[in-house]
Amino acid sequence: MGIEGYLIVSTLLFGLGVFGFMARRNAILMLISIELMFNAVNLSLIAFNAFLPPDANTGAVFALMIMAVAAAEVTVGLALVIAIIRTRQTPEVDQYSDLKE
Amino acid sequence: MAVVTLRNIIHSAVAMMICFGSLAGMYALLGAPIVAAAQVLIYLGAISVLILFAIMLTQAGDANLPKPFHRQLPIAAVVALAIVGMVGWAVVQTDWGLAAEAAGAAVGDIATTLFTDFALPFEIISMLILVAIIGAIYLARRPEEDERAN
Amino acid sequence: MELLIALIPALPLAGFLFAVIVGPRLDHVPVLGHGDDDHDDHDDHDDDHGADDDHHDVDDSAFRGVPTEEEQQATSPHAGHADDLANAEGAAGVIPAEYNDGIGQAGHVSPGAARPRYRSWIVPTAFVGLSWVLSMIVFAQVIFGGQEGEVTIYEWIAAGDFVIEISFLVDSLTAMLLLVVSTVGFLVHIYSIGYMDGDRGFWRFFAYLNLFMFSMLLLILGDNFLMLYVGWEAVGLCSYALIGFWYKKPSAAGAAKKAFVVNRVGDFGFGLGIMLIWVNLGTLSFREVFDRIGTLDEGTITVIALLLFAGAVGKSAQFPLHVWLPDAMEGPTPVSALIHAATMVNAGVYMVARANPIFAEAPTAMWVVAIVGTFTAIFAAAIALTQNDIKKVLAYSTVSQLAYMFMALGIGAWIAAIFHLVSHGFFKGLLFMGSGSVIHGAGGEQDMRYMGNLREKMRWTYVTMVIGSLALAGIPIFAGFFSKDEILAEAFNRGYLVFYGVGIVVAFMTAFYTFRMIFMTFWGEWRGPKAAWDHVHESAMTMVAPLMILAVPTTLIGLFLGIPPEEGIIHSWLEEVFHGAEEAHAGVLPGSILDGYHASGEAHHFELFGLGGLLLLVGASVAVAGVWLAHRWYVRQPDAPARFVQRVPLGLGPGMYRASVNKYYVDDLYQLVWARGGVLVSNALWWFDAKVIDGAVNGAGWLASTIGGGLRKVQTGRVENYGLGIAAGLAIVVLIFATAVR
Repeated sequence: MGIEGYLIVSTLLFGLGVFGFMARRNAILMLISIELMFNAVNLSLIAFNAFLPPDANTGAVFALMIMAVAAAEVTVGLALVIAIIRTRQTPEVDQYSDLKE
Repeated sequence: MAVVTLRNIIHSAVAMMICFGSLAGMYALLGAPIVAAAQVLIYLGAISVLILFAIMLTQAGDANLPKPFHRQLPIAAVVALAIVGMVGWAVVQTDWGLAAEAAGAAVGDIATTLFTDFALPFEIISMLILVAIIGAIYLARRPEEDERAN
Repeated sequence: MELLIALIPALPLAGFLFAVIVGPRLDHVPVLGHGDDDHDDHDDHDDDHGADDDHHDVDDSAFRGVPTEEEQQATSPHAGHADDLANAEGAAGVIPAEYNDGIGQAGHVSPGAARPRYRSWIVPTAFVGLSWVLSMIVFAQVIFGGQEGEVTIYEWIAAGDFVIEISFLVDSLTAMLLLVVSTVGFLVHIYSIGYMDGDRGFWRFFAYLNLFMFSMLLLILGDNFLMLYVGWEAVGLCSYALIGFWYKKPSAAGAAKKAFVVNRVGDFGFGLGIMLIWVNLGTLSFREVFDRIGTLDEGTITVIALLLFAGAVGKSAQFPLHVWLPDAMEGPTPVSALIHAATMVNAGVYMVARANPIFAEAPTAMWVVAIVGTFTAIFAAAIALTQNDIKKVLAYSTVSQLAYMFMALGIGAWIAAIFHLVSHGFFKGLLFMGSGSVIHGAGGEQDMRYMGNLREKMRWTYVTMVIGSLALAGIPIFAGFFSKDEILAEAFNRGYLVFYGVGIVVAFMTAFYTFRMIFMTFWGEWRGPKAAWDHVHESAMTMVAPLMILAVPTTLIGLFLGIPPEEGIIHSWLEEVFHGAEEAHAGVLPGSILDGYHASGEAHHFELFGLGGLLLLVGASVAVAGVWLAHRWYVRQPDAPARFVQRVPLGLGPGMYRASVNKYYVDDLYQLVWARGGVLVSNALWWFDAKVIDGAVNGAGWLASTIGGGLRKVQTGRVENYGLGIAAGLAIVVLIFATAVR
């Protein structure tokens, strides 16, 4: 199976991540979904790197950088989420309605 | 799929780990072993642990929420499906015009590229990670006793 | 002479200012039931100040309309029909407490109160008297000395090319008007001293009278159309003030409003005409306009002339704008004498005469003038036949005589019209003041059905009124005969046989109703309440003296100005003014029987034993016949009128009578069309404004707030909703890319 297979998997994974982000109430689960989306993107990058080789393996390098960024992001994000959950005593996002109009 | 649909968040986290692991395998298949190694190291080793720690610290998992899904689930499903559908359709329609699997990425090559062409982004990412660490420490601490003394 | 001319209107203006500023302090009107208080001294401009009448607060029920018979009995010596509340007096000569502020209390003051003083008449009357003297001097200089006076006082408007000066011009036409206006005005002032005695608004009356004199003088002295218009409007305003002098009486206030509004309709046309003159000719000064009028095409001139005539229709009460004049009888009688007999209504005639160069160029307009005049003459006379209020008879008679003047103007008999104006001013003023004396002597009664046999007790009034009536009816020797006959002769000679015929009929009717009035009032038996008969008395000398004075010109002026007929002195005086107009059409309008037949511009020679004499004879005999018929019906056979009405063929008699009494329903028509119509239109507009316009404005607000309210819901503050939004946006972008970029 050529590149399409990997890309379709990547797309599906991305879609699941989007769905999870929008549909689940737990804040940490939303972060998990975000990680899912990152990974999907990484997969598609590596796939492109393999099938349509760019100069100097740019795809793989980019994927590595994404991983680093994702790590940083999840760090800070989790810190925030932990702080919020501690303050509001609940991980359910629809209880966080202070910004409501 | 399991990641997003399981009720218990710990189960979801574990499913996530499995997901990461399989992805690592796919990277290896695609001829990028270093990326696979990095995936295992970072995601399975650090991020998953971080998430599990967060779940544990905030006892988010104990909640066993009565309603894990939002009211907007149907719309979310529709939108997600729309995105998937359209992109997938685009993917399928495209004539990629390639042969089968091509060459992989050797470790040496990647290292060379990383430290020459992409040296600057590399350094910046280091700064970024440093900033993230500081931020995370600050954000996640408890209110200190010596703050009260002030 | 310039100074004299400038002073003539200035004096009444000064008198007005004096009366307004100092006048109230000079009067001292006592309060009934409280004796003599001094509050008038610190009570400047409000003579209807209610503190003195605290428990006599004006009893509004008395003002709601004509009191019923019972109320009349309680407060007035005559049971029956005084439709003039103003002069209701108690049986003992004490004015009842209810009829206080704002109503005239002519003549009697409650006994026991301190002697009231009315001194605010002194300065205004003196100033008007002085103005009269100056007017006579100027008149003499202009008419006999042959000069024309001109004086410029002030440059009022200077806007580029448009320059208007306040300047006066006295030529022979103005001089004739000055004669009438000043003399009658002065005599009315003297008359008012007696007539308005006892009225709380004494000073106000003289103030308005002076203002009126000022305005009228401005009107006739002005030498450009704008001055004429200013004076025109000002006399309208003063007539509003004077008609509604007893302003608390609803009918008076309504009549004043009606006068002003109807006048305004005419004034609107007049204003348009003046604007057209300026637009086309660039100037409003009489001299220049008349010089240049020939440069315009006939259509434009006709329109201008018709618009100017519209103003005259309003001011001089011709059909269809005549409705204000009879109702204007609500004002005090001196007002009626001044405004409606001698001065204001003459303004229309003066204006048309002054603008004769314009009219001469527009034969169509002149036809309109003549037709309107003729129709109004017979229309008004037909109404006057059946009126029972003495003042209304005179009012309709005024309308009818003015119509004669317009008919004369319309057929080109300019000088005859002015002659009639002068003589009419004198004898109608006399008649009105005489009627005021009658009303006063009869204790406030104005309905002739309740009078009778007054000649026994009011000799002087009787004699002067008869003299005036003889003049009005057109009996030879007296003033009216010569002037009226000249008009009729001109009509005949120029070939307008229809106008002539109508004029003859109207002359007959005029004589008839005039003497009907005389016989009902002064002859026969007293038909009022018995108790009132004892109070009938001749009026004070201040009221009778003007009557006597006016009787003189009434008798003589015809002889003086009008002989020989059609070539009298007045012709030589006024020829200059009308020279151009006389030449333009040889005095004959196209369409008359003699068009093209008459020689140009030659004066017509009068032959006593030829055509001229025959016409004189016809006129005289028609007048005498009218008097004879009135005598027969109102002195000898009182039931004859009723039988006549029955005998009219086709049973139309009673209907015609009713129509005549109801003024041919013109007022009702106007009420329906304009008043009700106006209310309908204004309701419709209100609906539009409230619903549509306000609706749009409110709707815009509502729309904004609704949209805002809707959009507000987007801000839920919840992350998942925002995430949904982002994803949806992403989907859309992908969609666009997937389809469009293809």
